[in-house]
Amino acid sequence: MTDTTTGPAAGGPPAEGPGADGADRPRRPRLSAAARESLAGWLFVAPVVVILGLFLLLPILMALWVSLTDWNGQGSPFKPGVPFVGLDNYARLFTEDDLARQDFMTSMRNNIYYVLIVVPAQTVLALGLAVIVNSRLLKGRTFFRAAFFFPSVTSSVAISVVFLFIFANSGAVTGLLALFGIRGPQWFADSRGTLHLLLGALGLVDPNAPPAALTDGGPFGLSWWEWLSGPSVAMTTIIMLVVWTTSGTFMLMFLAALQDIPVTLEEASRLDGAGRWQTFRHVTLPMLKPTLFLVLTLGMIATWQVFDQVYVMSQGDPAKTTLTPAYLSYKTAFRNFEYGPGTAISFVLFVIIVVLALVQRWVLRDRDAAPRPRRRAGKVRA
Amino acid sequence: MTRGNLRNAAFGALACACLLTSAACGSGFDDKQAGPARQSDGPATLQILIGSSGDAETTAVRAAADAWAKSTGSTATVTPAQDIAQQLGQAFAGDNPPDVFYVDASRFADYASVGALEPYGDRISDPQDFYESLRTTFTYDGKFYCAPKDFSTLALIVNDTLWKKAGLGDADVPTTWEQLTSVSEKLAAKGITPLAVGDTRDRVGAFMVQAGGWITSPDGKRATADSSENAKALEYVQSLLKGKLARFPKQLDAGWGGEAFGKEKAAMTIEGNWIKGALKADFPDVKYSVHELPAGPKGKGTLSFTNCWGVSARSRYKEQAIGFVEAMTKADQQMAFARAFGVMPSRQSAKAAYTAEFPGDTPFVNGAEYAQGPVNAPKMESVLADFDTGIQQLASTSPASVLARLQKNTRAALGN
Amino acid sequence: MTASPGAAGRAAEERPRRKHKTGGTAGARTLASTFAGYFVLVFFALVFLYPFVIQIANSLKTEPDAAAHPLSPVPGPLTFAAYERVFLGTDLPLWLGNSVLVTIVLTVGRIFLDSLAGYALARLRFRGRAALFSAIVAVMAVPGVVLFIPKFLVLNQLGLYDSYTALILPVIADAAGVFIMKQFFESIPVSVEEAARIDGAGVFRTFWSVVLPMARPALITLTIISFQSAWNEFPHTLVAVQSPELFTLPRGLADLVSGSLGKGTQYPLKLGGAVLATIPVAVLFVIFQRYFVRGANEGAEKG
Repeated sequence: MTDTTTGPAAGGPPAEGPGADGADRPRRPRLSAAARESLAGWLFVAPVVVILGLFLLLPILMALWVSLTDWNGQGSPFKPGVPFVGLDNYARLFTEDDLARQDFMTSMRNNIYYVLIVVPAQTVLALGLAVIVNSRLLKGRTFFRAAFFFPSVTSSVAISVVFLFIFANSGAVTGLLALFGIRGPQWFADSRGTLHLLLGALGLVDPNAPPAALTDGGPFGLSWWEWLSGPSVAMTTIIMLVVWTTSGTFMLMFLAALQDIPVTLEEASRLDGAGRWQTFRHVTLPMLKPTLFLVLTLGMIATWQVFDQVYVMSQGDPAKTTLTPAYLSYKTAFRNFEYGPGTAISFVLFVIIVVLALVQRWVLRDRDAAPRPRRRAGKVRA
Repeated sequence: MTRGNLRNAAFGALACACLLTSAACGSGFDDKQAGPARQSDGPATLQILIGSSGDAETTAVRAAADAWAKSTGSTATVTPAQDIAQQLGQAFAGDNPPDVFYVDASRFADYASVGALEPYGDRISDPQDFYESLRTTFTYDGKFYCAPKDFSTLALIVNDTLWKKAGLGDADVPTTWEQLTSVSEKLAAKGITPLAVGDTRDRVGAFMVQAGGWITSPDGKRATADSSENAKALEYVQSLLKGKLARFPKQLDAGWGGEAFGKEKAAMTIEGNWIKGALKADFPDVKYSVHELPAGPKGKGTLSFTNCWGVSARSRYKEQAIGFVEAMTKADQQMAFARAFGVMPSRQSAKAAYTAEFPGDTPFVNGAEYAQGPVNAPKMESVLADFDTGIQQLASTSPASVLARLQKNTRAALGN
Repeated sequence: MTASPGAAGRAAEERPRRKHKTGGTAGARTLASTFAGYFVLVFFALVFLYPFVIQIANSLKTEPDAAAHPLSPVPGPLTFAAYERVFLGTDLPLWLGNSVLVTIVLTVGRIFLDSLAGYALARLRFRGRAALFSAIVAVMAVPGVVLFIPKFLVLNQLGLYDSYTALILPVIADAAGVFIMKQFFESIPVSVEEAARIDGAGVFRTFWSVVLPMARPALITLTIISFQSAWNEFPHTLVAVQSPELFTLPRGLADLVSGSLGKGTQYPLKLGGAVLATIPVAVLFVIFQRYFVRGANEGAEKG
């Protein structure tokens, strides 16, 4: 274990960037082969270790400190005199009846609905597309696979701009709906919750005068009525965008898994007289279980991180219905100079995501022992 | 991954972190500590960050800065910010703020309360010449911090073409809420959206002033959001929204009221004098006239907006920066800015020249007499942003609950 | 592509499949389902690709035309006015230059550093290797968005904030790339290196001139995903720089869109910017589709 700590230090001051060369020829000629290999090993990994340490690990520790202070964003947060407030910033998010908690809980509500819709939708769509693309009777599979995958490799910012245009009030979607005689909503200006609208349409509740039982209180500073809003109409545009961009990647994962299923297995089932659906349900789907779970958890981890689209398309508006914890933490810190509370929000988010990642690993731990499926940071960004 | 591995990893990670932390601390801590920045004499290199209203303003400020730089042998780099609040925030935390920058009145207290601003107000020549209300706006803890750059007020902008199309004449321009409603109904009957109004307190707040209310007491110390005057104002706005007599810009596919107005999607809008430049640049064919806002139950009311020239408390060139501001706030320089991008001089000595040159702006200038400035207290930004959220939902929520929420949050922020 | 060909490799290549033996009614049903299959595929292909058509078409329209006929793939009057304004009226040329610079440095840097580390973790025996490996695994689970403020603090503290270094250095090593390379190097037979070692080559020489050239497929995959992620990177630029001279294309575009009021909607202009941000990756995608596919699966499978 000592090696772990002294390694990079012994190799000189932690080299920055790609300058850490000279790894091939340690100057001491008498070094044994094993020692030479050991030294080379450390030198080889040193740049990566230093960079990851400096820009992943160290930031987390520094942020942990800031989240315990009331630093006002002037100069260094590590100089004496920065007020230490303990866990206050965290406590405010959960216990105090004020605006900070209300905003945080609103963002949590928004994100929960977002996850609840995006994850199943993109999973079902990805699986469906994979099954069809995998169908051996169709030609042009390479083209279709590419078409479905293409949105996920493009810039999230650029795509958000396109969707802003498509969903503008005089935009393409409104025009398309008009062809069918439907008057589309004013997407980005519409803060009404879709669940509220649904309840209203069913005649269960009047959204303009919700029952007092629902409006008179509820957990964490939001009334039950507010918790039950569903994603706002504006949020559904972001939902559509994200489902559209991520389905392609997940389709590829399903496709890879589908092609691993021996053809004979499905054929045997068909010969036994099972229908197409039955074969899918009882032969194919069970074989896809690990991939399915992988896709679900990857989706959940990614959807808790939605940021780019919110930043570009809505900035949390209208009426905070597209506010997400990731965007809120950014906004709190960089717009309102409340770095402590902003960092605290990001740590709560951190915990949520780490828990999801641990659940994923725990469930997948012995599904397939050899190549352990794991998420790739940044690759599947919601 | 076995459990042992995990533990090893944890140890390793911790050890690396300690090592790196100490390294980073060693290199980064000592040299950028607090304390007054060393001052440099002579020619300066000034960084100037402006929250520009558009190309016209950027060009004008650049020209003025170049002229100043040439006369003093310094250099002055003017950078227009896309989002000045964010850029300033990161610059302050990065210990690398620009030397001079626009400070919006609504954020002034935030910056002043954390010591980011140099309180130089009284060192500028003839500070009494600035309008009293503007000086108050930029005073914190009894100190006059920074020189007001200019100011503007809200007025009613009317599209003359649409007005005529609806068969309306000059006499129909509303001067009271009742008239506003009735003329709007006439416009709506012709299929014209009557009014585009921004969905924030910076527009809707004018109605609160006209009704005799405001968010805080005049001294800025008490929350007065849930007054019956404010309720009356929001109820009135709600009636306009519900009747589709007023629409928010987003509902008209526009970023702000001026754009909706310029695209002729509404016959009226409530904006400040910056709309003149925007219309000239983007919608030069629109014929419009400017009128004072309709009076409410308690008479006339409007909102004023202003920026000041903030000088960083950490600048190395404070003296030169103040000299720069001095040059920018000279009466004739202010008139040059007024010509370039339509703002009103903050010096009273320039008032006569301004009204003589821009008689059409009289409604804006007149507004100065009864205008309400922004809320001047720190930590109010998120509270007011939350109020904006309430305004955006005004069509479907009760004004009383919006105001109750504002009252509660304001009290928490003001600490009473 | 590897000694233990992953599903990914197979997904990439079209494997010839045995034709179904079908008879009478079953044949009719197959025909119907083939038709249905095509219908679904074409429908979704439209859904997935038409937004890009809209993007390009509307960037070539005048603003009133774009507002009036957003769906039309043919610009009413064809005009390059939006591009003219993009290039002459905004800082976009500068952002484009920054994006190119940053992307190239990042891609080259990642390839070099990731393969070095991947090789060491796969092949070289040194103490603490297992622990290090686990640590990198753990680090990979850290979600990017929670690092905004932290990264800003570190860059700030190190005095790097608002510089090219800040844009590049923090993201020049990525754990995922290390994994792809490690995985690949493990699949190369040890005998090759042993031969080189016996010839007296040093560790770095062996790596550089013997092993690395064999890693071409993995290197191409890594190049592709590095290029793509570097080109598209947005949140990091938010906390690394603030001067418009240092903006990359996504950052500049985001500010153009969400930025100051009074600029109006100007969709053709914004869409033009978006087209420029999309093109390089789109071109790469058309040429190296196989590697994109591989990279996507690699990310999910390994790591």
